[in-house]
Amino acid sequence: MSQTDLEIVVDDPTAPEDDSPSVVSSGTIEIFVCLLLLALAVTLGYDNWRTGASWDATGPEPGYFPFYLSVILGGGSLYGLVVALIAHRKAAETFVTHAQARRVMAVFVPTLLFCLVTQFLGLYVASFFLIAGFMRFVGKIALWKSLLTALLFTTVMFVTFDIAFDVIMPKGPLEAAFGH
Amino acid sequence: MRIPVKAVGAATALLLSTPAFAGWEPAKPVEIVVAAGAGGASDQMARMMQAAIQKNNLMKQPIVVSLKGGASGAEALMYMKSSEGDPNKVLIAYSLIYMLPLSAKIPFNWRELTPVSVVALDQFVLWDNSAGPKTVKEFVAAAKAASAPFKMGGTGSKREDHVLTVFLEQKTGAKFSYLPYKSGGEAATQLVGNHTEANVNNPSENLEVWRAGQVRPLCVFDKERISYTSKVTDTQSWADIPTCKEEGVDVQYLMLRAMFLPGKVTAEQQAFYVDLFHKVTQTAEYKDYMEKQALKPIFLTGKDMVQFLEEDDALNKSLMTEAGFVAK
Amino acid sequence: MEAFGLLLHGFAVLLTWKTLVLMMVGLVLGIFVGVLPGLGGPNGVAILLPLTFTMDPTSAIVMLSCIYWGALFGGAITSILFNIPGEAWSVATTFDGYPMAQKGRAAEALTAAFTSSFIGSLVAVLLITFLAPMISSFALKFGPPEFFAVYLLTFCSFVGLGREAKHKTVISMSLGLLLAGIGMDTVSGNLRMTFGSPELLRGINFLVAVIGLFGISEILLTMEERLALRGHAASISLRVVLSVWKDLPKYWVTLLRSSFIGCWLGITPGGAIAASFMGYNLAKRFAKEPESFGKGRIEGVFAPETAAHASGTSALLPMLALGIPGSGTAAILLGGLMVWGLNPGPLLFVEHKDFVWGLIASMYLGNVVGLVLVLTTVPIFASILRVPFAAVAPMIVVSCAIGAYAIQNAMFDIWLMLGFGVVGYVFKKIGIPLAPFTLALVLGNRAEDAFRLSMIGSGGTLKVFWSNGLVGSITTLAIVLLFWPVIDGLLGRVGWRQRDKLAIKD
Repeated sequence: MSQTDLEIVVDDPTAPEDDSPSVVSSGTIEIFVCLLLLALAVTLGYDNWRTGASWDATGPEPGYFPFYLSVILGGGSLYGLVVALIAHRKAAETFVTHAQARRVMAVFVPTLLFCLVTQFLGLYVASFFLIAGFMRFVGKIALWKSLLTALLFTTVMFVTFDIAFDVIMPKGPLEAAFGH
Repeated sequence: MRIPVKAVGAATALLLSTPAFAGWEPAKPVEIVVAAGAGGASDQMARMMQAAIQKNNLMKQPIVVSLKGGASGAEALMYMKSSEGDPNKVLIAYSLIYMLPLSAKIPFNWRELTPVSVVALDQFVLWDNSAGPKTVKEFVAAAKAASAPFKMGGTGSKREDHVLTVFLEQKTGAKFSYLPYKSGGEAATQLVGNHTEANVNNPSENLEVWRAGQVRPLCVFDKERISYTSKVTDTQSWADIPTCKEEGVDVQYLMLRAMFLPGKVTAEQQAFYVDLFHKVTQTAEYKDYMEKQALKPIFLTGKDMVQFLEEDDALNKSLMTEAGFVAK
Repeated sequence: MEAFGLLLHGFAVLLTWKTLVLMMVGLVLGIFVGVLPGLGGPNGVAILLPLTFTMDPTSAIVMLSCIYWGALFGGAITSILFNIPGEAWSVATTFDGYPMAQKGRAAEALTAAFTSSFIGSLVAVLLITFLAPMISSFALKFGPPEFFAVYLLTFCSFVGLGREAKHKTVISMSLGLLLAGIGMDTVSGNLRMTFGSPELLRGINFLVAVIGLFGISEILLTMEERLALRGHAASISLRVVLSVWKDLPKYWVTLLRSSFIGCWLGITPGGAIAASFMGYNLAKRFAKEPESFGKGRIEGVFAPETAAHASGTSALLPMLALGIPGSGTAAILLGGLMVWGLNPGPLLFVEHKDFVWGLIASMYLGNVVGLVLVLTTVPIFASILRVPFAAVAPMIVVSCAIGAYAIQNAMFDIWLMLGFGVVGYVFKKIGIPLAPFTLALVLGNRAEDAFRLSMIGSGGTLKVFWSNGLVGSITTLAIVLLFWPVIDGLLGRVGWRQRDKLAIKD
């Protein structure tokens, strides 16, 4: 029996501490989500009512199903709201701790910026910035490694999609300068 | 109700006399935008053009077919509208460019695009299940006698198929329940499965099930028979299908298949595509496709095309108004 | 035998260099995707879907289904070596797989996992091969009422049999159905819920939603946790493989039982996750010394892996035959089918024989090739985990964006994906199930259209759903499933609970 039992160990230096204080409890988020869904249900319900939500000679009108679905969604979220309000008084389960929130934001904010940059500079430039920036600042990886990885990955993507498979991606001034 | 077909020969001659443009050429892959789902008549046509252009080396850049069938094709129209000035997108249009803005109030007008050429006219045929009535007369009688709703399948709501159904009702006095399916293919298989009594599909959409002997063509909605005489099934060719007028139902409708560029492109860019699609219509691929799908060959461009579009638009508008499909 | 002839034809379609290369590429990408944290079968398939848009449908599905097999295999690697289930359905594999690795029997555990995956898929493929021709024979019986009844059955079984709080399932499903309704309504040709926005005109694409809900939200969730890992490296030698295979016949009962459970749960929308747990629990229950499970018993690897793969594979049958996805990945493949212009449903077997049998043949071939591939490349893939997450995460984000954009060439979809990412993250954390949501997004429009077409066809009477034996029995079954908790409760009172003594706890 061959046994090359090498250990693979990867450490996570920026792991969230276990005793980080809670930012917000699950109950509060549930209440918030239910209120949002309720608002959505009302908006869509109204729009469908306007479109026509009755049952005419040949079956339901276009707004019929969506209207009653908004009613169901509204009912479901109202019920959820009540349940959450009752449960809220008892135990407060943590939705996210302070440390966790920081880490989630560390991914979310760059992703948001990435989408924004894609809109103006095209996807490839944006992805270069995202990968290089994320590796350097969030992952604390050496600058040259970050830049190289970002460049390689972006190039591979460009060659695969835009050249090999003719899948056209959003492009900006940089690609235009090279005639793409 | 007939669509004026301009003197095709004259238009072609005019085009041939124009000098070949050495000017503009696309520097990027060109998108053929299809305003319908995959596998539909527009998609098939776009892929035929793609093959014809690539096999005959008519263009240096590759051609990509991009499907924008969302919202019954409105997606493609809005996409073209928003691509103003981009000479790398060509729309393969059909009658939806007139009908969709009327029925769904979509903020679109084909005059905002740059017309390139009309490349074909598509026929409509009345089909029923091969176990159903054998002639138009028997068919109309069966529809009138039916106690349960007599079901007519078609693609989409308030569009060509639906309009034709309404006019069939008006001319025959029979009552149909129109079932809007998502595609002509679906309408075809539902007819085969006997879930509908008839449909008014384009020849291409019912070709396979006709060859399999599962459906029967009753009549074609044109003033003359289809010209192709080679056998499609064991016994019949496209030319064997009588016109509806011959059978006593005077309903005629032809649908354009035309190419458009987005608005605000230069004259050189427009000329490049006029030339390109003219070359396409000369290829073996195009000719073969026209015959297989029983399409009417035509090539209109420039002023002739605009005049054709204006007349066609007016006709479609009056049909839609008469059928009561124009949104208030 | 008809099935056999068609299958041979399928192999003929498949055996070209191009397809074989695509198959290998698909498998490697799949294993890669299965091993990476924050990615998984459904995400991987969704992200890589655009690559196939310009291919012909047969090559496209071969590549995608190979990504899927690859992801199934890949999930086992991390479960056994690192105690990290790459996929939810490999959780049960960690119970005995990781202890085996700790005892230095990693190679054995991996061989067992891969082999049983192979066996599970094989049984399911055999099932598909022999059931498929029967499906095409009643294909033409499906009109609008029948389609609606089948969709209804799917929705009802989710509400009735789901484990989550009922109101949360209802919220999730109705939200999905509502979002599916945005855009143009095919039946009337009117626009609805677009609020005059041209971006909303085309509706919300289900694949964009999936990439956001699973891809982006998974990155957010993964980031939240500690990412440190400690695991075992292993390479597999031929001797270990042969010794495991030699012992296989001893476990035939376990293998057969798990295959059966998997196939059953794959065809009904139970899914691979339930199948793997059920397979594991039943193996434990019927074992002579159940207490030795969880301490590194090879049967504890065989049982869940066989069931998960049998289920994952057989989930493709309802997807192809009825247009109803039995799993998340099957749902994405379904989206792919529509992009390539194939209408899933019973008629697929009539109209696109090449495609269906090419796919079935690729299941056989993909599994054999996949087995060889994983057995030889384990060390390479295990070392992928050494790549820091900070490098992997942005690459996944970029891949998601490419996937979302390519579906409709719309920038708006990238924003939509981001929005769904946040929704997915929040919903997962407060326990609103995402499966009914995605199901509703896929099937919502088609269910509504089918219902309204039935109404037009019947002149507006609901009796059409009981108008013949086929549609009547499906509709009735749907209603029974919807009220299953109530019915089950009533039956329990009558004392039928006896038989439940055999039931499974998990």
